[in-house]
Amino acid sequence: MSWPTCRRSVVAEPDGPVNLRIDLHSQAFEPLRCLEQWQRSLSGQDHAGSAAESLFIGRVRAEAAAGGALVALELEHYPGMSEACIASLAAATADRHGATAVLVRHRIGLVLPGNAIVLVAVAADRRGPAQRCCQELLEALKHNAPFWKREWHADGSSAWITGNTAL
Amino acid sequence: MNSKSPPPLAKLPEPTVEVRLFAALREQAGWDRRRVSLSEGATAALLWPALGLGSGALPSAVRVAVNQVFADPQRPLNPGDELAYLPPISGG
Repeated sequence: MSWPTCRRSVVAEPDGPVNLRIDLHSQAFEPLRCLEQWQRSLSGQDHAGSAAESLFIGRVRAEAAAGGALVALELEHYPGMSEACIASLAAATADRHGATAVLVRHRIGLVLPGNAIVLVAVAADRRGPAQRCCQELLEALKHNAPFWKREWHADGSSAWITGNTAL
Repeated sequence: MNSKSPPPLAKLPEPTVEVRLFAALREQAGWDRRRVSLSEGATAALLWPALGLGSGALPSAVRVAVNQVFADPQRPLNPGDELAYLPPISGG
């Protein structure tokens, strides 16, 4: 199986209690194609029996936090720590909810409005664990994985975002 | 008895930590990583004003990581540690 746009694949533990797939991308990715690849990968690893899947796709808004057009969003991260944090959060959250597989794809670098910035997908035996795990993991990585966003505006100015958007 | 003077002690390397800054903190400081001498009992909280990163105490919004793991700013640092000051996180 190939992940052609993958910048770094940090965790792939098909033999562990939870199947984790964590990828950071410096190039645009197509979430639905990633999902298809992930599901195909799970099928090949005897994870075809998951009865429930929950997913979240986050995209960059076309509007800056303070109003006005947003040209791009820049994602900075702490190489090494960000991947480890996502993996640790994913493993802990999946374990807490009994999820069987987790996929996290996160952009770094410049992301254009409309492009996907994050994809979280969770497989479990039931919808409750899948949905709860997906939401909890998303919130956890928003607050506890070392990523920083900078907005780039049409006039060439930029501003670091110091918080997260409302739930 | 051997009257020769003992050989000079090998000079021990100075204990240091590597400090890393990210995002807005990096831009405010004008540097992203710096190796600094480590004094006895040094902590991330004590190094913050010593490095000129702020005139007062470490702001509560700034988190600390030691060796790429979130850490208590009051925890004593060890030689060779990688210390990072992390501005408010906004992932996802």
